[in-house]
Amino acid sequence: MRPDWRDPRLLLLLAATLLLASSFLAPQISVARVGYDALLVVDITGSMNTRDYAANGRPQSRLDAVKAALREMIAGLPCASRIALGVFSERRPFLLYEPIEVCADYAQLGGSIDALDWRMAWEGDSHVAAGLYRAIDMAKELRADVLFFTDGQEAPPLPASGGPVFDGRPGETKGLIIGVGGYRLSPIPKFNDEGREIGFYGVDDVPHENRHGLPPAGAEQREGYNARNAPFGATMTAGVEHMSSVREPYLRTLADRTGLVYTHLDGAAELARAFRSAATPRMREAALDMRPVFGASAGALLLAAFVATPLLEQRARRREIIRAANKPPERRVA
Amino acid sequence: MSGFGVETLWVLAFLPFAVAPLLRSALRASRFSAIDAAPRDGVSRAVAVGLKALGAGAIAASILAAAAPYRAGAEHERIGEGADIVFLIDRSGSMNETFAGRTPAGSEESKASAAKRLLQGFVDRRAHDRVGVVGFSTAPLLLMPMSDHRTAIKAAIDAVDRPGLDYTNIGRGLAMALAMIGSGERDRSRAIVLVSDGAGVIDPRIQDDLRAEMKKANVALYWLFLRTAGSAGIFDEPDPEFDTPQAAPERHLDLFFRSLRVSYRAFEAEGPAATEQAVAQIDRLERRPVRYVEKRPRDELSGLVLGIALGCAVALLLAKLAEVRPPTREQGA
Repeated sequence: MRPDWRDPRLLLLLAATLLLASSFLAPQISVARVGYDALLVVDITGSMNTRDYAANGRPQSRLDAVKAALREMIAGLPCASRIALGVFSERRPFLLYEPIEVCADYAQLGGSIDALDWRMAWEGDSHVAAGLYRAIDMAKELRADVLFFTDGQEAPPLPASGGPVFDGRPGETKGLIIGVGGYRLSPIPKFNDEGREIGFYGVDDVPHENRHGLPPAGAEQREGYNARNAPFGATMTAGVEHMSSVREPYLRTLADRTGLVYTHLDGAAELARAFRSAATPRMREAALDMRPVFGASAGALLLAAFVATPLLEQRARRREIIRAANKPPERRVA
Repeated sequence: MSGFGVETLWVLAFLPFAVAPLLRSALRASRFSAIDAAPRDGVSRAVAVGLKALGAGAIAASILAAAAPYRAGAEHERIGEGADIVFLIDRSGSMNETFAGRTPAGSEESKASAAKRLLQGFVDRRAHDRVGVVGFSTAPLLLMPMSDHRTAIKAAIDAVDRPGLDYTNIGRGLAMALAMIGSGERDRSRAIVLVSDGAGVIDPRIQDDLRAEMKKANVALYWLFLRTAGSAGIFDEPDPEFDTPQAAPERHLDLFFRSLRVSYRAFEAEGPAATEQAVAQIDRLERRPVRYVEKRPRDELSGLVLGIALGCAVALLLAKLAEVRPPTREQGA
């Protein structure tokens, strides 16, 4: 038995056999897969009930728009990603659960996102900046990126002296502030104690100015101003706090201050794109089954041995025959 | 539901290529002008057919392996012990204090941490339960929908010792727990486990709703009362003049639960050890046979088909090595 090593079929057969054998030696390899860890914090205060989105030709509340976008975005995340969900009301985020994996527990994630409701809010106030800062702390502790969904409407309005101060390191925790809501003012639905909708907030239902702390500059010009008895003026200022639109400039300053990225909620695709560019990809070890690859390459080599080589040989032989036929040397083939 | 399947179906489109060996040979074509030059014999024919079959087998098995075949795991219906359970957990701020009513220091465990540890153990011990988690303070919070996904359930329980919220509003929390359990399957035993360190007055209007709902849902109710030292207990009977829902909410909540005419047990625990006993007792009580479907993991068939392919390939290789070199090479080749 003297093997002819110049025969390509022998080499192909040998390579296929070796590949098939190695599928038993190393059926799996460990590969690094990209995943994302994210803490989602959703504002569930009253202004999120404002219906200034549309879905299927019908008005959609901001909260519903957030839920729809989140479900779709999460479905598109790689399996090695983990998500924790929290709600925001008053001045802090409240964590519903610690991070869970997006593929294994997708149904549970989706179910809990669907269940988000303004009725979960334990207080009506909405101190957005304070809530955001604490959400960033929470994300840092969970070693996750933060996604903070809010319309940016501080209720009650911030005092003239400004909001709370961010004492973390800007940019240490990455993530997005997602501005939710339309750019035009819309009425905010009002609900009674039993949770039934009873109209919209009127101009007299909400404070339009925060009268804690020092009065703003120029308050002296106001009607009925008295330095001791009426430092904010004698009449209540009336504004548009009973209406709501996304407070984009304010959210942008918050983003600048905290090192997060601001984006406006315009559907799931846009949200997913913004998230991927702002989030930290985290490498996770995952086992990759190599056996299909071995099978495919062995199959290809075997096919080559059975089909390609004989065909090539046949062509070579045909050429030989033609050459033999054209023996008279006036038409030489190069 | 047992059946065969492949992970990537389109790969099977290449399977027809497996007939190639029937048409072509991996052996060298020899340049005898006519096969008739060699005498016909049975062994040669058998070897020829065998080699073709081996080639076809090797290619087909390789392509199959590329498609990652498997046999689906069968689903077996079994009888085990378990229930549909909703944990209704008090998330008011006081749960973050110890049983002595202090902020935990050193190795001390807050009521919420004790509840977390024991409920995790509970979930671990009971493999066939479906569990949902509801939190409540001023408002009810749906923490995790009901499911049998252990990781998700435990992730929700894991978060219950984070800083709590304002007050204890049991009525609305109970309504949410009932709504969650009401959607469960009829033939499973169902229970709500209320874990709280205080009680509140349930709005009389909600009381009537709850009464009707509880009866309809036919659930068992367990109240695990984590009693802080010095506070009123469930079973303390105050002076008649102070015996009002406002002055003694724990006792009156207990009376309300008793009046519901459902299977109800209250456990008063004054420390982690007592809490553990109470949880163990609930574990024992909520053990009724349930039907559940066990899905066996599917069997991977990649190894099998790769083995077949390898066997065929080795045989072909041996045949190839047994080839006889052509006597001479003709000129020009």
